[in-house]
Amino acid sequence: MSKENQLLEEITGTEYKYGFSSDIETETAPKGLDEGTVRFISNKKNEPEWMLELRLKAFRYWLTLEEPRHWAHIEYPRIDFQDIIYYAAPKKNKELKSLDEVDPELLATFAKLGISLEEQKRLSGVQSTIAVDAVIDSVSVKTTFKETLAEKGIIFCSFSEAVQEHPELIKQYMGSVVPYTDNYYAALNAAVFSDGSFCYIPKGVRCPMELSTYFRINTSGTGQFERTLIVADEGAYVSYLEGCTAPMRDENQLHAAVVEIITHKDAEVKYSTVQNWYPGDKEGKGGIYNFVTKRGICLGDNSKISWTQVETGSAITWKYPSVILKGNNSVGAFYSVAVTNNKQQADTGTKMIHLGRNTRSTIISKGISAGFSNNSYRGLVRIAKGATNARNHSQCDSLLMGDKCGAHTFPYIEIKDKTAIVEHEATTSKIGEDQIFYCNQRGIETEKAVALIVNGYCKEVLNQLPMEFAVEAQKLLAISLEGSVG
Amino acid sequence: MNTSTTIAEKITPGAVLLPELDVLQTTLAGNEQIRFIRRKALKSFRLQGLPERKNEEYKYSPVAALFRTGRSFPASTHSLTRNDLTPFLVPGMDAFLITIIDGKLSRELSDELKGTPALQLHDLASLEETPSAVFQKHFGADALITADPFIALNTAAFRDVVFIQVPNNARIEKPIHILNIVTAEGAELVNPRILIQVGRNSAIQVIENFIAIGKAEQTLCNALTEIRVGSGSTMLFYKIQDHCKNLSLISTTQVYQDEQSHFDTHTVSLSGNWIRNNLTIVADAEQCETHLNGLFILNNHQHVDNHTLVDHRKPNCESNQLYRGILDDKSTGVFNGKIYVRPDAQKTNAYQSSKNMLLSDDAGMNTKPQLEIYADDVKCSHGSSTGQLDEDALFYLRARGIGADSARALLMFAFTRDVINTIRIEALRTQVEELIEKRLTH
Repeated sequence: MSKENQLLEEITGTEYKYGFSSDIETETAPKGLDEGTVRFISNKKNEPEWMLELRLKAFRYWLTLEEPRHWAHIEYPRIDFQDIIYYAAPKKNKELKSLDEVDPELLATFAKLGISLEEQKRLSGVQSTIAVDAVIDSVSVKTTFKETLAEKGIIFCSFSEAVQEHPELIKQYMGSVVPYTDNYYAALNAAVFSDGSFCYIPKGVRCPMELSTYFRINTSGTGQFERTLIVADEGAYVSYLEGCTAPMRDENQLHAAVVEIITHKDAEVKYSTVQNWYPGDKEGKGGIYNFVTKRGICLGDNSKISWTQVETGSAITWKYPSVILKGNNSVGAFYSVAVTNNKQQADTGTKMIHLGRNTRSTIISKGISAGFSNNSYRGLVRIAKGATNARNHSQCDSLLMGDKCGAHTFPYIEIKDKTAIVEHEATTSKIGEDQIFYCNQRGIETEKAVALIVNGYCKEVLNQLPMEFAVEAQKLLAISLEGSVG
Repeated sequence: MNTSTTIAEKITPGAVLLPELDVLQTTLAGNEQIRFIRRKALKSFRLQGLPERKNEEYKYSPVAALFRTGRSFPASTHSLTRNDLTPFLVPGMDAFLITIIDGKLSRELSDELKGTPALQLHDLASLEETPSAVFQKHFGADALITADPFIALNTAAFRDVVFIQVPNNARIEKPIHILNIVTAEGAELVNPRILIQVGRNSAIQVIENFIAIGKAEQTLCNALTEIRVGSGSTMLFYKIQDHCKNLSLISTTQVYQDEQSHFDTHTVSLSGNWIRNNLTIVADAEQCETHLNGLFILNNHQHVDNHTLVDHRKPNCESNQLYRGILDDKSTGVFNGKIYVRPDAQKTNAYQSSKNMLLSDDAGMNTKPQLEIYADDVKCSHGSSTGQLDEDALFYLRARGIGADSARALLMFAFTRDVINTIRIEALRTQVEELIEKRLTH
């Protein structure tokens, strides 16, 4: 027993590795939110009139809404929306011509996070595999490999840049999957979003490298509201990665992002996230509230969208990456590992809305709860009338570590077409003593055995991640859970 | 046919019932304790109102349509004879018959529980003469009026209570057959109420049938049965909803299980217009075993919602849920099964399976299997699937010279076997098999 306690101590003692904060000169909007704030942000970004109109429309709609509080399986004090800084940006004096002009502190920050923005120095001679858009606080600071991508006609830039340079695409697609009327936080985001990434893959192009956005909240008291928009035109393919971290602070910071994905005929988008926002300390103080709306639509026939997420951070995670399967034969997938420890809360899952014929979706969700945390899977599978031969398979498993945590599943299955075949399975259990015993017997000590079993448990999801991310994810799992079962 | 007062039409659900409920308080039978319970429940109902569209528990079964017009509470019972009951009996089954008509126990149409002196049957009138401490202790103790507005509504408006008491160490071989009859023709609301208290180390089998004798097109029956299973006891409970015609029915069963008790229940829904079955099991002691089985076969515009909640409060318990549904025409079905494992309930094994078959393009099935688990050393799982008849299996049978209709019926019948096979009273099983066969081949 004492060994168990000791091991438990170890995990609760594990420090959040990305908890430093950088001393970068920033420019912030005054605290609080009114029409002035919205105009301020829009003005700061030199936005065209139509964009401001859109923001104001969203803001006015947001005012009519009430903060959603009851339906999710999470608890937190009311958020004071007037106590948040809605815009913070690293100060720039002039347009950056080259990387040398970037604030060295900023470069150091990203280096600490393990992200090199210095593309030229990377693996010279070998074609690098990832292009990065780095977003700090509210603003995109650097997008790498832009030129290489441009040769193929791929647009990969910050959202504000896209508003200036590709307004027709933004006008066409922004809000087409997640309209500002969608929910409370989508409306708030549409009103005050500061930046984010935009990505357009033209017809028939297979993106030669993985595209990546790295989000970092740095300034205290800020909320981060970014928007990501990914459009894959006919026959295009892209694999997109997203990573996030934040400094350790006592306060709760709000992150309310919107991600929209559109795939046309025969296109495919693979979206992977390793979410590692600061989860708060072991008493549950501080940490990020991660209230995110992510949704993709398979517009064209034979298109495919897959979401892969590894959720280890945030005080509260509240997100449901979804797919609307509109095109015939389209495919949606959701692979998720959600880990909660200490006093973290997660209410996450997906929605698969089948509208087209012969559409298929797969849901694999692995929840792991430890400490005093609560981890919920909430998902919807809807087969609309006329969505003939739709097929869904869902599996959500929960693993409990410790007797003070909770694991919950709330699946909704709505079927309106007789040709549908829908299966749902869920299990909840802890790591079996026999499993541990089996490993011990073969000379594997308990702590390693747990890591082995957890990795095996998550394998189906981790296998979906691109190489670099899979390694990071495995390490994160180890940090979060090592030794939590004796 | 009977003296019932009508309610002024109002649109607000719930409010429409209130004036009538106020009047009821003064006219209904019962001693001071009963009146007090009713008054308290009415107060609670007034506060809760009827579940609104946004109410998560009633998401797939909105009730507003049931209360669009006012409802009256029938005050006197129909005169039926024993002969009228023959079609509702189970052939070949020797049972104690208990008949409830429009929520009131009919002594004439009920058997005296003779030969088992210990078994007691009471209604409000007999409780008045010989008060029962057991009744006072347990009545309304488990079905909390704050838990659901329909529990509050029933508790505010029940006319009579049928109280069955099974003493300690009594193994009752002969099943108890309860006929819950609704004679109402119009927009009445009937609130039958039953309390079954099983002592220690006893065994009992109960069958409850819901029967509509009149047209019952607008009628709503809001039935509530409370069951307490004492330690070491076994109870089999079969709820058969077959002769319901167009009745709308809310049937709530609230079960409390004591140590080492065994509770096995079946809910079979074959007819009725709109049915909501609320089945709540509280396993509040160690080593309880619970089996919940359900079967529904629907057509036309039928709607059946099976809502189960198994609340595991103590360690070393086991629960098992098995639900099967076949939906045709424009029918809709709901399965919402919740398993709740409290922090202390270590070593819980809870299992749930819900399988459904859609036969028509217009039928719909909503499933919500829900696990809420706060203990770590547990094994909980659920499985759910919805699909149509297996084409390959159909082809296999057709290739062997079996006609299309027979082949379909055969496959559907096989699909229902899992549930039927677990019915332990042979005569009842045969009857249910025949009913299903009739339904599937009609």
